[in-house]
Amino acid sequence: MTIPVTFWSYFAELAGCSETVVTVSESSTVDNLLAALYQAHPALSELRRSTLIAVGVEYQPGEYVLKPGDHVSLFPPVQGG
Amino acid sequence: MKRFLSITRDPIDEAGLVANRTLSSGMGAAVYFSGVVRGQEGADAITAIDYSCFVSMAEHQFHRLFDRLAERGSVESVRLVHRIGRVAVGESSLWIEVVSAHRAEAFGACQWVIDEMKQVVPIWKTPVMAAEASSPLNPNPTS
Repeated sequence: MTIPVTFWSYFAELAGCSETVVTVSESSTVDNLLAALYQAHPALSELRRSTLIAVGVEYQPGEYVLKPGDHVSLFPPVQGG
Repeated sequence: MKRFLSITRDPIDEAGLVANRTLSSGMGAAVYFSGVVRGQEGADAITAIDYSCFVSMAEHQFHRLFDRLAERGSVESVRLVHRIGRVAVGESSLWIEVVSAHRAEAFGACQWVIDEMKQVVPIWKTPVMAAEASSPLNPNPTS
């Protein structure tokens, strides 16, 4: 299945794009998607520990099992206010 | 609990917000906070901050915070406006008001929403430097 991924804030600059699509097998987790993503965007992998992950509008852990129709967002720590 | 949320590119009309306040007869405290862009970021002079936002998630996360606030049962209303886009030094980027029966609840709830917002609401800042091109506020978030 194909999962659209959006990069927010300076993650878009590091990735060289604001959106991409990652193809993963059924029952893949967010961690599986990140492994594939980091091969194409190695600069992001250095920030893995501080990367926040959302599926849709909810935060999700790396163990989250992706479903068709999911949309993943990756971004740095938030800074509102 | 009544709630109002606005994520907007328009300047925050603080006077208008205050003028439109409503509170029932049992309420004795209306606390509001206005966050204003400072002219310095660390040792550097800045002219503005560019706020970017994942709006649909930000709205969802704000409402989750408001849901948690409502569970306390002591707050009658919360109103919050967060500005996005370029906000000049001296202008307000955040305005929040909490109405409750007593001041301790209102101050505490106001502070709590701001603290939680800074953990979960996807908004980011990029300072506009006075002398040079802008750069991310937190280029090394692992530090």
